[in-house]
Amino acid sequence: MSKYKNILLDPIFNDNPIARQILGICSALAVTSKLETSIVMALAVIFVLTFSNLAVSLIRNHISSSTRILIEMTIIASLVIIADQIIKAYAFDISKQLSVYVGLIITNCILMGRAEAFALKNPPTLSILDGLGNGFGYTFILLFVGFFRELFGSGKLLGYTIFTLNTEGGWYNPNGLFLLSPSAFIIIGLFIWFVRTWKPEQVEEE
Amino acid sequence: MRFLRNFLDKQERHFNKGGKLEKLYYLYEALDAFMYTQGKVTRSGSHIRDAIDLKRMMLMVVYALVPTVIMALYNTGYQANLALSKLGQAAGEGWRNTVITFLGLGYDPASVVDNMIHGALYFFPVYIITLAAGGFWEVVFATIRKHEIQEGFFVTSLLFPLILPPDIPWWQVVLGISFGVVIGKEVFGGVGMNILNPALTARAFLFFAYPAQISGDKVWVAVDGYSRATPLAEFADTAMTVSASWMDSFIGLIPGSMGETSTLACLIGAVFLIATGVGSWRIMLSVLVGMVGTSLLFNLIGSSTNPMFQVTPLWHLVMGGFAFGAVYMATDPVSAAMTDKGRYIYGLLIGVLVILIRVVNPAFPEGMMLAILFMNVFAPIIDRIFINSNIKRRLIRNVS
Amino acid sequence: MSAERRSKIIAVALGVCIVCSILVSTAAVVLNAKQEENKKIEKIKNILIAGNLYEKGKDVKEIYNSKVEGTIIDLESGQKLDESKYNEELNVETFDIKDLAGSPQYGKIIPSAQDIAKIKRMPKYMAVYFVKEADELRAIIIPVYGKGLWSTMYGFIALDSDLRTIEGFTFYEHGETPGLGGEVDNPNWKRIWKGKKAFGDEGEVKIEVIKGRVDPSSQEAMYQVDGLSGSTLTTRGVDNLVKFWLGENGYGPFFDRLREESSHEQI
Repeated sequence: MSKYKNILLDPIFNDNPIARQILGICSALAVTSKLETSIVMALAVIFVLTFSNLAVSLIRNHISSSTRILIEMTIIASLVIIADQIIKAYAFDISKQLSVYVGLIITNCILMGRAEAFALKNPPTLSILDGLGNGFGYTFILLFVGFFRELFGSGKLLGYTIFTLNTEGGWYNPNGLFLLSPSAFIIIGLFIWFVRTWKPEQVEEE
Repeated sequence: MRFLRNFLDKQERHFNKGGKLEKLYYLYEALDAFMYTQGKVTRSGSHIRDAIDLKRMMLMVVYALVPTVIMALYNTGYQANLALSKLGQAAGEGWRNTVITFLGLGYDPASVVDNMIHGALYFFPVYIITLAAGGFWEVVFATIRKHEIQEGFFVTSLLFPLILPPDIPWWQVVLGISFGVVIGKEVFGGVGMNILNPALTARAFLFFAYPAQISGDKVWVAVDGYSRATPLAEFADTAMTVSASWMDSFIGLIPGSMGETSTLACLIGAVFLIATGVGSWRIMLSVLVGMVGTSLLFNLIGSSTNPMFQVTPLWHLVMGGFAFGAVYMATDPVSAAMTDKGRYIYGLLIGVLVILIRVVNPAFPEGMMLAILFMNVFAPIIDRIFINSNIKRRLIRNVS
Repeated sequence: MSAERRSKIIAVALGVCIVCSILVSTAAVVLNAKQEENKKIEKIKNILIAGNLYEKGKDVKEIYNSKVEGTIIDLESGQKLDESKYNEELNVETFDIKDLAGSPQYGKIIPSAQDIAKIKRMPKYMAVYFVKEADELRAIIIPVYGKGLWSTMYGFIALDSDLRTIEGFTFYEHGETPGLGGEVDNPNWKRIWKGKKAFGDEGEVKIEVIKGRVDPSSQEAMYQVDGLSGSTLTTRGVDNLVKFWLGENGYGPFFDRLREESSHEQI
């Protein structure tokens, strides 16, 4: 049982795809200026990651090594298009803000990485768990970054005012840096710093 | 004074190993070193090359900054008093007015003392806040990492207020220097390990986080409701005419960040830094060459829509933070290139970049801060290229 | 059967492709109607916001259908385009400024001397919207766009039926610096526009976005709008685009026509 648990929970702190493996940074910078977009993006990634892991794992014994990358890409790309279509249909406002970044999940290294490293070699149940776990790890960072960026950048969370802005008669002077993408780098950097101080075994040897 | 010495000595035992305040030893040590010179020399330093140690080096930079601090005090007060007299107000407002009235002084822009005191009432609060907030982080990290408080901070804390506008909100000073010290320096491991210049990092943070208080034309003169653009902004804007003369800009009687306006004061500092060997003349010279070359090139190309193309190198020299950045910021021994050849490249590219940003970028009239920070990032790579090529050359020489 | 056999490789690849394409096309077809609907509602919503007609919670289509009437005009002549000339690209429903401005047939290049909004190309036809209440014209909503600091800003201006007073102003798409130029979509700033006069007594464009704050005691105050603090270039962009579109190279001929019509009616 602990094996399942580890596969599911390890990617959150111990082997986080963004903070440890430094994968999928691009979307973490682009979509996290608001918590809402971060959540939708994270759900899309969980969806694609879980199903692509499942699909690849199901046919893993029938894929030849020469065409495996193509087949993985086809599966991932199809799932991303489906996710993109669904978001456009049911969360139009957010899809406008996410613009191309849902489509760019195709190029998110986490997906190919998990398909190659895990789903190709493991049975479906484990692969689903691995997909979910890595999805959660990604989600965790996105929410962490999105939380601070929206709170400090616009004084809001999920669109609800937490700090009243001084332009609207309140006291809070919004920090414009948090609305710019580089702030996500700084927040992720600090996150890595804290995690590695907490779990020194993650520090790479030079 | 003897009393203070005795008092400090008596307290020392509390802070030594086993004492009840053992954890705060480094705070005690810093206070002791600040009041009296330390009994010991720095145990490790990043740049011991000869008899001069890191501490003396940093002290030299502080001395070199004295002319710019004096001009900062004078010009901040002068600009404010000038604005008051233009607005027809006899006196300023708030606590500064209380202090000035108490001292029996006025707001005459022609009086040196009036200007100095009025300016000091803007500069020193910012400086003290910088020292307190930045010092707090220094102590926190020194205590956690168990090293002494490093002297580099005294330079950073003096540089930072000099590159801020006079009426910067105090809470922003606190946030800015905290970011500069923690993100710009401590996350990399402290003095000697930092990639970026901490004072500039702090300013860049404020520049992008709260642009309204550090750009535009309202912030450079410390009087509410009075706006005067910096000459740089006036050049960049077709709708404005340049209101300052070249000589005023050279001496530093123009609106701008507190310490950056006076090219003259920076030149005096540059002579001092070069004479004592603390600042690299290679960097200063190549920044200048890069600037002159690029701006002449833009002069040649010309443009009908962008007035910045026509600005001559002489004006670029005296406007904005160019001189200050070239003398005090680009030469920061930690974040600049270390190899001699590398320094030429590093300085040259700063000079080129600053003109590129000033002339071609529509959003930022000033480019010195961004140019230096950008090249800070590249300095280690430049050094690496030269060190590697040196190694290769020597190998070849030895083989043949 | 080994996975490396050629026939197997082809079969697996084919199978994956077939399954994937079925899934993708099903999703696209099933969800298409809903997506088109979303786009339409989005556009209607922006029009309503500009005309101060938008109410949260109410069905935007209902408000739009009961109060707003769109029509296509020829910018050069100011004439309404006859509905018989509508086609795929040219109709109120699917009107898209960007497509039309770029199209060789329906767009044109603006001579650089006239191009104060710095947009290079513009459509020859525009969709404008009349707000009517009880068959009486209340306001006209016109799409505008122009270059800011970093991006082209797209928006709507609503003019009162007197064709002088600004009823509302909104930007629905821009990429200006957050916190500075990005404040063009700050509701507080948009609110300043309401009630300002766009034209002087002679019908000349007088509205301007000034640097800093408007002095309320000034005679010109009714023609002036506060600039956005700390963003000279975005402010200037807004000023330019308003002047361009209200001027003779923009909607000028259309307004002249409307003025003529209304004076005839009074007689």
